[in-house]
Amino acid sequence: MTTGNRLRRPRVGADVDRTGLVVLAAALLVTVAAGWWLRTRSGAVRATGEDAMAVTTVFERLGVRAGEADLTVVQFSTAFCGPCRATKARLTQLQATRPGLATVHVDAESHLDEVRELDVRRTPTLFYLDRTGAVVGRSSGAPRPAELVALVDAHVGAGTDGVS
Amino acid sequence: MTAPTQIDVRAPRFAATVTAVVLAVALLAGSGWIVAAQAAVFAVGAAAGLRRSPYGLLFRRVVAPRLGRVRETEPEAPPRFAQVVGLLFAVVGAAGYLLGAPVVGAVATGFALVAALLNAATGFCLGCELYLIARRALPARI
Repeated sequence: MTTGNRLRRPRVGADVDRTGLVVLAAALLVTVAAGWWLRTRSGAVRATGEDAMAVTTVFERLGVRAGEADLTVVQFSTAFCGPCRATKARLTQLQATRPGLATVHVDAESHLDEVRELDVRRTPTLFYLDRTGAVVGRSSGAPRPAELVALVDAHVGAGTDGVS
Repeated sequence: MTAPTQIDVRAPRFAATVTAVVLAVALLAGSGWIVAAQAAVFAVGAAAGLRRSPYGLLFRRVVAPRLGRVRETEPEAPPRFAQVVGLLFAVVGAAGYLLGAPVVGAVATGFALVAALLNAATGFCLGCELYLIARRALPARI
């Protein structure tokens, strides 16, 4: 095996390429790690460290009127995004039974300045704004159904009407 | 605007599985020609659509009839864009192997393999995710 001519290798499997074997093993490890990350982190709502005032003006430019609803969900999408469509449908479905929920859909590609200012890297990315315009959280990737409902219900209804 | 082309959600998953196997074999064999063949498959998928790519045809003719009827469809655009990304990596991979830089070839092939494995195992489209990142990095419209 060790004497095999590297230029002509007629039988696949008779002489496994060492570099290829290492890369294959690395690729499997990376895939498992990425799969684990997707399962545990993708779509999870996290708090934002953004400068509140700066962010407010960005959302105003996007036409978001947070004061008109208990919770406004701003969704950034692109044309080449599978989960965006399902996420949009899920939000529409939630809106049907929760009048205090508003949604704004932003095409990321036509708002690249805002995408950079808000540091949107993936689609869908969702921002959750309360009635005061404060960002109560953000999530990237398809949101987790239970977490989304819990977040929406924590802000919509429950006697908070008109409180700002 | 016309309605976007819809495809069976299982088709890209099947194609990703075949792609992953082909790329894994290419790595073990250290074969630039196998990577080049996969690049050709990506090119057909990107240019003519997933339904006309070899794996798409294989799925529709052989696999789909055994799986039962279509339960869910999705727009073709995201996975088709991912074919373009796959093509870029496969071209670099094939060129690396065939032009005497096997480590470059193996690493580029490895990236394509990770994307294919993730797609096959979880449905996650890594190529699609790169779209916004690329658009962000580029200052103006392409």
